[in-house]
Amino acid sequence: MKLAFYPGCSLEGMANDYARSILAVFNHLDITLVEIDDWSCCGATAAHSLSEKMAVVLPARNLAAAEKMGLDIVTPCANCFNRMLFSKVMIQKKIFDVPWTVTGRIQVHEMTRFLARPEMLERIEDRVLKPLNDLKVVCYYGCQMVRPPRLTGFTDYENPMTLDRLATAAGAKVLDWSYKTTCCGASIGIGRRDIQESLTARLLEKARQTGAEAIVVSCPLCQANLDLMQRDRASGHLPVFYFTELLRLAFEADDGAAEWFRMHIADPVPLLRAKDLLR
Amino acid sequence: METIAKDRTELESRRVSSGKRRLIGDRGSHFLKRMEGDTGANIAACYQCERCTNACPVSFYMDVKPHQVIRFIQLGWREELLRSVTIWVCLSCEMCTTYCPNEVAVAETILHLRSLAAQSTIAPREKQLAVFHQTFLDELQRFGRVNEAWLMAALNRKPGILKEKMRSGQLKTEIELGLTLWRKGKLKLLPKRCKAIKEIRGLYRKRQGDRS
Repeated sequence: MKLAFYPGCSLEGMANDYARSILAVFNHLDITLVEIDDWSCCGATAAHSLSEKMAVVLPARNLAAAEKMGLDIVTPCANCFNRMLFSKVMIQKKIFDVPWTVTGRIQVHEMTRFLARPEMLERIEDRVLKPLNDLKVVCYYGCQMVRPPRLTGFTDYENPMTLDRLATAAGAKVLDWSYKTTCCGASIGIGRRDIQESLTARLLEKARQTGAEAIVVSCPLCQANLDLMQRDRASGHLPVFYFTELLRLAFEADDGAAEWFRMHIADPVPLLRAKDLLR
Repeated sequence: METIAKDRTELESRRVSSGKRRLIGDRGSHFLKRMEGDTGANIAACYQCERCTNACPVSFYMDVKPHQVIRFIQLGWREELLRSVTIWVCLSCEMCTTYCPNEVAVAETILHLRSLAAQSTIAPREKQLAVFHQTFLDELQRFGRVNEAWLMAALNRKPGILKEKMRSGQLKTEIELGLTLWRKGKLKLLPKRCKAIKEIRGLYRKRQGDRS
């Protein structure tokens, strides 16, 4: 199986470790990811804040490139996924013209939903070498991945389960909580840090109250936001994992795995060692 | 409640003192029609149930609450909206749109107001956020992709931003943050540039051409 991979800008910068774990996981699942040739930024919040036309035109370039490759797109970033779908819908409705041919015949997959399909889950369960027993986690989806449901196609947008299923497949114990899709405020961190911090602090507090030892996310911005918030706390760290890191850990059971987590601010290594998941 | 009431009186007094009290017949419909046309949102259908405001995670920080935004549009109060804090602090987390029983696209409407404000001569109430969005697009135009380190550096070079950050003490926090990121190897100092950067810059020129 072959898919066009759209990493997005975050995965070249602060979420570089996410990119590495994704490539490793897809490699284990025998799915070839072909990075979209010379992809460009989707414009994120800025483009649709300032010009609706740019919000359609910028992602369209990548859609057209993937169509040329004839492959469906899979993207790990919630915002990139949202913007690309939006652009595709607007082009299909003929609301804006773009300088490339975009017929809309290829699909844009959100990574967790793609991997949480029954046949993929089966494949994942087969590949697990060392289940992450006893690791208590909560899954955090954020906003851009599930909302607005009319665009994203999530039918269980109030209680999405894709990450829960994936973390369970890796052997972790997933706890239920009410803040799965409450916004973490990443987009406002520059400019109104006070608002962002109040939103993020509440999420961390609720996760702790639930009894979680770690948070599992799929959005690179949510990860950076939740992780960076914990930089001056000496005690009570709550590691924030990309779901692919957990899958990779369960697949490889690698002795050198501590090295993968060196970009994390809230260091997960002591927790993993205590659970005998790392040496 | 009190602040809302105070804001309303303030708005009223501004309206009366400027001597531009509009007749009921002139109110709204023009602006409402235009907003509905631009966003495809069913704004006239709002019956003020306040589900949007109750769902909004940042309504506490807004001067005009989401349900009031829709009401203001129905009344044609364009300037009050473009001058609000609301249009800048909205996170576009889409809670309001998702839970509206009448399918009013509230988040999309607020975003459209933001782009109207950016194109207007009205000074944005959240200057740093407004400048940030523009800087993001500038960086995108420069490289085709956005590098976090370069983005922050470009933002700090914009007039007034560094001064404001120094005054609020934000600069100190940001330097500490930068050091943490650097130590963890999360900062990539070399930006990647798209090969087809000319094509991307061409899109911007076209966009500016469209506007004039």
